[in-house]
Amino acid sequence: MDPVKLTIDGREVATTKGKTVIQAAAEAGIAIPHYCYHPKLSIAGNCRMCLVEIEKMPRLQIACNTQVSEGMMVKTQSPKVLEVRKAVMEFLLINHPLDCPICDQAGECRLQDYYMEHDLKASRFEERKERERKREIFGPYVVFDGERCIKCTRCVRFLQEVTHTEELNVVNRGDHSTIALFPGKILDDPLSVNVVDICPVGALTDRDFRFKVRAWYLKNTSSICPGCSTGCNITIGSYQNRIARFQPRINEEVNSHWICDEGRYCFHPLTEGERLTTPMIRQEGGLAPVDWATALQKAFSGLNAAAPLAGLLSGRNTNEEAFLFARLMRKISPQAALAVFYQERALTEVEKILKSPDRSANFRGAREMGVSSDGEWEPLLRQLVEGKFHAAYIVGEDPVSLQPGGGEIQSALEKLSFLVVQDSRLTATARLAHVVLPATNFAEKEGSYTNRKGRVQKLNAALAPPAGVLQDWEIFARLLARAGDRVAYPAPQQIFQLIAAEVPRYQGLSYLRIGDQGAQPSDGT
Amino acid sequence: MEKILLRNIEAIDSHTLAVYRSRGGYRALEKVLRGMSPEQLIEEVKASGLRGRGGAGFPTGMKWSFVPKDSPKPKYVVCNADESEPGTFKDRLLIERDPHAIIEGTILAAYAIQSRTAFIYIRGELVFGSKALQRAIDEAAQAGCLGKNIMGSGYDLDLILHRGAGAYICGEETGLLSSLEGGKGWPKVKPPFPATHGLFGCPTVVNNVETLAALPWIVDQGAARYAAMGTEKSKGTKLFCVSGHIRRPGVYEVEMGYPFKRFLEEDCGGVPDGRKLKGVIPGGSSMPVLRGDELEPVRMDYESMQAAGSLLGSGGVIVMDDSTCMVKAAWNVARFYAHESCGQCTPCREGCHWMEKIFWRIENGQGRKGDLDLILNISGNITGNTICPFGDAAAWPAAAFIKKYRDEFEAHITDQRCTVS
Repeated sequence: MDPVKLTIDGREVATTKGKTVIQAAAEAGIAIPHYCYHPKLSIAGNCRMCLVEIEKMPRLQIACNTQVSEGMMVKTQSPKVLEVRKAVMEFLLINHPLDCPICDQAGECRLQDYYMEHDLKASRFEERKERERKREIFGPYVVFDGERCIKCTRCVRFLQEVTHTEELNVVNRGDHSTIALFPGKILDDPLSVNVVDICPVGALTDRDFRFKVRAWYLKNTSSICPGCSTGCNITIGSYQNRIARFQPRINEEVNSHWICDEGRYCFHPLTEGERLTTPMIRQEGGLAPVDWATALQKAFSGLNAAAPLAGLLSGRNTNEEAFLFARLMRKISPQAALAVFYQERALTEVEKILKSPDRSANFRGAREMGVSSDGEWEPLLRQLVEGKFHAAYIVGEDPVSLQPGGGEIQSALEKLSFLVVQDSRLTATARLAHVVLPATNFAEKEGSYTNRKGRVQKLNAALAPPAGVLQDWEIFARLLARAGDRVAYPAPQQIFQLIAAEVPRYQGLSYLRIGDQGAQPSDGT
Repeated sequence: MEKILLRNIEAIDSHTLAVYRSRGGYRALEKVLRGMSPEQLIEEVKASGLRGRGGAGFPTGMKWSFVPKDSPKPKYVVCNADESEPGTFKDRLLIERDPHAIIEGTILAAYAIQSRTAFIYIRGELVFGSKALQRAIDEAAQAGCLGKNIMGSGYDLDLILHRGAGAYICGEETGLLSSLEGGKGWPKVKPPFPATHGLFGCPTVVNNVETLAALPWIVDQGAARYAAMGTEKSKGTKLFCVSGHIRRPGVYEVEMGYPFKRFLEEDCGGVPDGRKLKGVIPGGSSMPVLRGDELEPVRMDYESMQAAGSLLGSGGVIVMDDSTCMVKAAWNVARFYAHESCGQCTPCREGCHWMEKIFWRIENGQGRKGDLDLILNISGNITGNTICPFGDAAAWPAAAFIKKYRDEFEAHITDQRCTVS
């Protein structure tokens, strides 16, 4: 890559040949305003917001399509440039309904932001505005407002270039131009809602999220999607301790700028519904609430007394939790059979862009933490059905409801002499337990996930767990203490230090090194 | 003056191969295929000084020489027959009356860049013309002037006629290419330019009908003879389409540099019914209008028109006498561009309609103080800020009408009515 030096706004900027002015400027921390340009899509050059002055060129040039050259002199703040920005803003707004008070994009809208930054003047447009289609349903999750659309074609290019599903195109001409579905198509491909994220204005909005909460009230937490083992980086937007939405967080090593629709909405089933808030033990007539000390004592003595023992861990438990779970189970019974929930399904070509075949976000990590005694989930369930175990500890999964042949599993679980279920809700599996331990869901946890490709990434708690429940790691730690383990486990960060010390592939890792983009330790093979 | 472009059109059955051949047709092609290299042909056309007749006036030979010789991709020549500029109807005459001249010119251009497939993109509305062209293409193919091993030279070329679906913007060369590729007729961002990344991403030359139709004569008679005609920088002859308030409207072939006023008054017979010439749009509706009283020094060549504040454009001369309301004329032009803007770039998509709406208000007695400066400002904000020249084509005439006839516009606003008709 040949180095190129150019000057932007009087600053010397070093970059490489083939870069465009907008990229070189961004690298140097100079933001050139733009609508249609998107780093992952082809150049459309239609919004004209990124026009800049380049010495020796008679006309202003679009920064998104102008390649850098040695000695180039670029001005992004000259009077000519500022004037054109104002003009483009005025043009974009003349037919815009200016309905920010009822627009879901308000607060994260490029029209609002750039108006404040670059325009700030009253419109001179006194004609009748052009009308367009409102509230047109494009698909199960996406709704379109034609009057707010600025025709940047980001959505069209995304569907042409990333998913290749091509549901949308621009129809008509001039200021009647508008985005429309191809006849007979609906916008329902597995990545469809990304068009909402890349829409710079309020034209495409998320039917699931819209009108729930104003963008500026959201608390944003960097985390990892629990939907499958791809480990897409996400930002969890939450409000009043409830998740309002997932949005993709850029990570070129994992998911680039995108997430799939299934992942985007997976927080609904995982976080909604009535929560368990107190431990319970089986008594005459069913499950009865008890305090934590009683429940933990009962769970520990029950598991200790009934071998052979099976431990089943959810694919959404963190590395820290898996590490303690494996340690606990081995301590109780060195021969305990352990497995992580794992189920594959067939994927279409479009799904394969992001999705992994399973839904266990931390399958690989949990196995690497030692939750993998003698193989896989399915063989272990088969052994369970065959009556090979006397006791089981099931964490965060509901095999009775989720597994094909759940009836068989139910009767197998009913025959166990002792069953502990740890979950955030009273599932069908939990109803069969002798001890039920209320725990947290993915959004309440701090910890790490290791994705299918072995990348270790950081999960952060977006929500506070309800009163009465304990973090999964804390439950394991308290049981470990009962089992005579003298190590202190004060928090996930310290547990991870133990992992880094004990699990070879994780050597040298720390939360600091994982950061918000994850770390890829070598496979050690 | 010897006619070059209109040399055949008055012959009976001029559209047939037999008549074309009997008048020296395909002699140039034979000359090239028998004894000229592509490089020699390009040099010959460069020497003739021929410039693109679609409106921009770019030197034809130079355009060809930008096509990379060593590209592994196929190369294409596209004849732009999407003539749609209001006031322009020169290509249509050639298409209907001398289709073989266009075909021969296209083959010459294709040979120059060693293209094996050429296209003629014809405006969809020209139904009769497209039939004439297709017939001529079939005739030429049957006679061995197209297809495999043309005239025994070993050179192959297929020529495909494609009818447009009716959008002005498809006359813009990259809009045309998008349309020819099967997409929406949206102009492409440049760079890359068509010479390297044109049709289907391959090196492509797009030439206007009139440009290509001049080639057989230039090759047959020699570049020097062509270059001897016209002015220093505008060589040869050009077609002008005269319409509006004029006694003898029609297509005229004029040697470059001919006095414009004399042309209108003597060749075209002047304004009828004793009325006065109020204004002329010299190069199709996208070019700035000239006042009737500023034509004296203007000559019909690229440089002189530019010096007068307009452009030669496509040669569509629209004559307006003193019964014309210039506000209405401006609105009419603005309406056309508002309707035809492809909608891709923000300034053009939004600005063209905005100007049109203001012109309409002024003409209909609802003009406001400040409207004229507003239009001038909108026009300035569009000019030079779009992907293709359409933005300029819409912005220039709007500004020119106001600048040249400001009194009339102001009277409309002051009196709150049309003050002319």
